[in-house]
Amino acid sequence: MPKEMPTMREAIESKGYSRRDFLKYCSAAAAILGIEAAGLPSIVRAFETKPRPPVIWLHFQECTCCSESFIRSTHPIVADVIFDYLSLDYTETLMAAAGHQAEKSYQDTIKNYAGQYILLVEGSIPAGNDGVFCMIGGRSAEQIIQEAAKDAAAVIAWGSCASNGCVQNANPNPTNATPIHKIINKPVINVPGCPPIADVMTGVITHLLVYGGSPELDSQGRPKEFYSRRVHDTCYRRPYYDAGMFVESFDDENARKGYCLYKVGCRGPVTYNACSVTKWNGGVSYPIQSGHGCIGCSENGFWDNGPFYQHLASFPGFGIESTADTIGTAVGVAATAGVAAHAIVANIRKRKLVKELKDESVEINDEDKGGNS
Amino acid sequence: MATKRIVVDPVTRIEGHLRVEAVVENGIITDAFSSGTMVRGLEIILKGRDPRDAWAFTQRACGVCTTVHALASVRTVEDAVGISVPKNAELIRNIMEAALYVQDHVVHFYHLHALDWVDVVSALSADPKETSRIAQSISHWPKSSVGYFKDVATRLKTFVESGQLGIFANGYWGHKAMKLPPEINLLAVAHYLEALEWQKEIVKIHAIFGGKNPHPNYLVGGVPCSINLNEVNAINSERLNHVSKLITDAMQFVNQVYIPDLMAIAPYYKDWGAIGGGMENFLCYGDFPTHGYNQTDSFKFPRGIILGQNLNEVVEVDARDPQQIKEYIKHSWYKYGAGDEAGLHPWEGETEFNFTGPKPPFDQLDVQNKYSWIKTPRWKDKAMEVGPLSRMLVAYAAGVTEVQDIVNDTLARLNVPVGALFSTLGRTAARGLETKLIVGWLKGFFDDLVTNVKAGDTTTFTKEKWEPSSWPQSCEGVGMTEAPRGALAHFIKINSGKIENYQLVVPTTWNASPRDPSGQKSAYETALIGTPIADKDMPLEILRTIHSFDPCLACSVHLYDPDGKHIHDIKVV
Amino acid sequence: MEQTQKAIYRRIYVWEFPVRLYHWINGFTILFLIITGFLIGNPLQLFYANEAYQQYWFGTVRFIHFVSAFIFFFNFLVRIYWGFVGNQFARWTNFIPLKKARWKEIVNVLKVDVLQVDPSMRIEIGHNALAGFIYFFSFLAFAFQSVTGFALYAANSQSFLPKLFTWVIPLMGGDFAVRQWHHIFMWVFIIFIIIHIYLVFYHDYIEGRGTTSSMVGGWKFEKDENINNDE
Repeated sequence: MPKEMPTMREAIESKGYSRRDFLKYCSAAAAILGIEAAGLPSIVRAFETKPRPPVIWLHFQECTCCSESFIRSTHPIVADVIFDYLSLDYTETLMAAAGHQAEKSYQDTIKNYAGQYILLVEGSIPAGNDGVFCMIGGRSAEQIIQEAAKDAAAVIAWGSCASNGCVQNANPNPTNATPIHKIINKPVINVPGCPPIADVMTGVITHLLVYGGSPELDSQGRPKEFYSRRVHDTCYRRPYYDAGMFVESFDDENARKGYCLYKVGCRGPVTYNACSVTKWNGGVSYPIQSGHGCIGCSENGFWDNGPFYQHLASFPGFGIESTADTIGTAVGVAATAGVAAHAIVANIRKRKLVKELKDESVEINDEDKGGNS
Repeated sequence: MATKRIVVDPVTRIEGHLRVEAVVENGIITDAFSSGTMVRGLEIILKGRDPRDAWAFTQRACGVCTTVHALASVRTVEDAVGISVPKNAELIRNIMEAALYVQDHVVHFYHLHALDWVDVVSALSADPKETSRIAQSISHWPKSSVGYFKDVATRLKTFVESGQLGIFANGYWGHKAMKLPPEINLLAVAHYLEALEWQKEIVKIHAIFGGKNPHPNYLVGGVPCSINLNEVNAINSERLNHVSKLITDAMQFVNQVYIPDLMAIAPYYKDWGAIGGGMENFLCYGDFPTHGYNQTDSFKFPRGIILGQNLNEVVEVDARDPQQIKEYIKHSWYKYGAGDEAGLHPWEGETEFNFTGPKPPFDQLDVQNKYSWIKTPRWKDKAMEVGPLSRMLVAYAAGVTEVQDIVNDTLARLNVPVGALFSTLGRTAARGLETKLIVGWLKGFFDDLVTNVKAGDTTTFTKEKWEPSSWPQSCEGVGMTEAPRGALAHFIKINSGKIENYQLVVPTTWNASPRDPSGQKSAYETALIGTPIADKDMPLEILRTIHSFDPCLACSVHLYDPDGKHIHDIKVV
Repeated sequence: MEQTQKAIYRRIYVWEFPVRLYHWINGFTILFLIITGFLIGNPLQLFYANEAYQQYWFGTVRFIHFVSAFIFFFNFLVRIYWGFVGNQFARWTNFIPLKKARWKEIVNVLKVDVLQVDPSMRIEIGHNALAGFIYFFSFLAFAFQSVTGFALYAANSQSFLPKLFTWVIPLMGGDFAVRQWHHIFMWVFIIFIIIHIYLVFYHDYIEGRGTTSSMVGGWKFEKDENINNDE
């Protein structure tokens, strides 16, 4: 094979690392990706001989916003990613081939690079119901993901759909949309967000390929590199929060000064993402900077935490505008009323008690007085 | 009889999941069935929610034409409860929508559609000098030097020789229907890369006004960003300068790269001016209001319908009229209370799943019965095509001079008759022409915004009817817009401040839907009929026509023989 | 027939000092937690500064909330400990009706104090069985608030205690849900306080045993005959 492009090994060695470092990198990558020790030689061979790791990108119940976000990456730009970093062998959004030819690319990769290809998944899987809610080429999404994940070296779940079900998973979840990690029996790197930030997506891939295997993950399978901090804790409007200076309504005086959006429903305090640091579209802005609260799009179940414009969710079954507070107040009023009613009855009872005692002619004589003290 | 049995599965470079089964006889498609194979139940999920949140839910209908659903949604709520948005909000929405059009059409042309016409492998044998000469003869674009094209050719060569072709693997290289000379192929490949890098810039306009892209933020009653020229935390002169620069760059890219490329490629494919047509009726809701959503005469794209390809008359359309727009489910996997033959106006629309198709894995759908997750919309029981071509035709017929001029000019330059518009080439050309117009309008909207702000008006939101308590007990609205892919409308019914019913009638529903109860075909099924298939192994022609619609769902095209047999091995009987 | 009815009351030391101390610390921290918690959930525009750095009132509110929470939590632990070493009125057995007699008493208390019928029932000296059982549930609410509170706090803390509770977040479906429930349970406390304070006065009013002051000095008053009957 012509070797105009540096292989993974050459790339690593050109950066001053030894063959031993390279092997260490491979075993670390293998360990983190959950590959058996026996599989290690294959991953070493893959990176030694293959200039670019093969990648398959599958689409299920999604809106393609993850793919769109991916091509917005500014560093590296996506042309460099797909020409120099990896070999994007299958992606329904960009690939030239269609039909048989596309299918061939997919089959070639899962067969020839078993245990070596990286699987990127966009979209949730409608589990059960015979898979009729998402069918590609006459096969159900579930059948396809099981096949593709079987021999994948690593699986990345792009976006909230693949990570936690996103909008189609919102109540009542009519199609039983299910995140990838609940479908396949393999560690999954979850990169939530609707969509994830472009540079976070390329960052996760580069971390995987260049910086020594899978990034460190948190308990929800998210790379700590991008999801360990709340949008709120890194928000440039945070000082206004601490100072108690809030936007009360959109485009009011406070909004024009850029105060904290907490009171118009900002989900920054409950959302883990890199928005306020990495920002969007090459660092141009992020939702809060442009005046709209965070809607929490990288959080599990965020669609059911609405309405988005109030800080507390509305209570199921109690109408849009009833939060825990309105219901709490109602119960509190009821409790007070109950207490008041009770007090009235108790008072009647006390009168009876006092009357009974009087009827029993309780008289306190001097002896008793003295005796008690 | 020679019957070719060909399978194309899946069709790529689109959004979503679509399947088309087509019958091919003697190298010509004689029948086709289009089926949406993925459903998420957004309309069911929306029930009972806060109408002010609906934009975020519906925006997730599509991440490619992101923002248009959000726009339709805020419009439908505003229409229902009676809000008219401030001037600045209208302008910022127009700017965002126009920016989307420009980005989306450029991405469609280069990244979703071009590989149907451009042979990447052939570009390897191009002479960079000649490519440079051609480039300089058609455009002032600065990156047109011999050295530049040499570099691109070298990069492409290195890439191909690595043996890992990635996204270009198994493409239709060397196909008989590929007709461009190597030099133009190289030009197109160079601009494929340029466009990929540029498209991420224009959407920064969305990030500035909406915080992010894809899926920027919208707001019922205006836009969420505030304008304050005396504040760093709002839209100020720096932010506006950024937008201005992005618009200037966009104008340059469209006028110096996209349009010249389109005009350089089109002459080689004039035969496609006679393929992929067949639709008689064209619908456009109109968009880009300049004096309010209800002042339809102020729209940049006029509203109306062309019937029977008659460009002398524009028929009025009223989405509120229960007799005009109706959705059918005779061939869709849903059920209506009133039965399968009924058509319902979206306000009365029902979304209840009723899958009757084969269980996967399957080879073929039962197209005599229900065969799609897409409902079938009709205007007065007529099938309509929607999209750039419809917009250009309606504007042309309505007498919009700038549209008439640019269309006539292009027809003259390509030396084709007006009838060539009703075709695959016509659709692709119309998309380019409207991009050229819209990028100019984009500049105009921005200038208007600056003028308005300069005059002291910085309001971007009206609070008046923000609280659901200020709404009528029950009301209904329709939010119409023109998505890059065509006419889009959202229909809402609100009761006690909650969504009682929400229906989306999207462009791809008009174009990709299955047959209606009377057996009328929709646009995809109609346009595919008559398409020649030159190479049974590589049905590139199908991709051309399907892609010319810019489908908004990932799709798989199946062709099968008239006996209904679906055979994976290709052989000529 | 005797004209006088002798009722000899005796002082009984019911609430030991640690119990009383616990009660008041608990009461005040909960009060602080509710006020600050309410403000955090729905902040008011209280003060205006020109620049954000010039004031920190909302940060202070949150600080008070966190400090109160830590005191509340450790105070609660002490009370649990005292439930095993304290006197008969402080024992954990007061809170969980394991014996049939306790269940019977619950029914009696419902009859006497809630439905206001049959006023002749004998009255328990310490917690009555129903009150004890309800306190048991309030302890569960304490635990719930502590766990959810620490889980939320963990996001802005490096210390080990809050980190112990981070598992709650994914379990309950994310920070938003945890916050929501934490807020809802605040209302449990508010309603508890309304009823609790009322009942203290009610018991004093009807029974005259010094219920209110007992939480200050520890003494309650009981008819001699009742004490004699008691073991």
